[in-house]
Amino acid sequence: MLLFRSEEHIDRWCEQWRRPRGGVMTLEQQWGMAIGWYAENRGDPSWRRKTVEEAEALFAELGLTGEFWRLR
Amino acid sequence: MTPSLTPLAIDVRRVVYDLVLATGRIPDSAELAHITGASREEVRAALRELEEAHMLVLQRGSGEVLMAMPFSAVPTPFVVDAGGVRAWGNCIWDALGIPIMMGRDAVIETGCGCCGTLMVLHVRGGDLREREGIVHFGVPARSWWEDVVFT
Repeated sequence: MLLFRSEEHIDRWCEQWRRPRGGVMTLEQQWGMAIGWYAENRGDPSWRRKTVEEAEALFAELGLTGEFWRLR
Repeated sequence: MTPSLTPLAIDVRRVVYDLVLATGRIPDSAELAHITGASREEVRAALRELEEAHMLVLQRGSGEVLMAMPFSAVPTPFVVDAGGVRAWGNCIWDALGIPIMMGRDAVIETGCGCCGTLMVLHVRGGDLREREGIVHFGVPARSWWEDVVFT
């Protein structure tokens, strides 16, 4: 996951590396995703990974819907 | 579903995160063996267990930790300075996750994925100051773990 200055820079990168355009989100959405994903100390013995349902719910809450963001 | 882990794997994970959260540096298997009192072979088996559970990513060949998400054991273009503790994120998502998990303010330096222009982000009091910039995910969500290093 890379940060770009603009949509135009993403298009240029995709063209340069001959990669299809994937999923795009604002920096604000990415910040929300980081909070949702990394707020817990993963060293805590009781920590567990998010379930598929929990992860998809987080994506949906951030407005990340559609085939690209589906986990199953 | 997350598989159940052995007590040593849980302890190794705790030590990895205790150290990386305090220093920004991911410990190697020798240090983990010293701290946990287990043998290096036992620690390596615990690390493999944690990788199979998608909780860590190991370096191919050496079996040492490559990623204890959101931290990277090796230099990346996502440099985080959290109150003097320097660390590397695996990607922009992880770079933002480091100050969140550490509970610290931070300055994140990266470059535009296309042109390399320096982009500096500031986390202060639990908020991200900047709003400019856009993130691209090259791999669909359901395939992230197929090649997590590429992802």
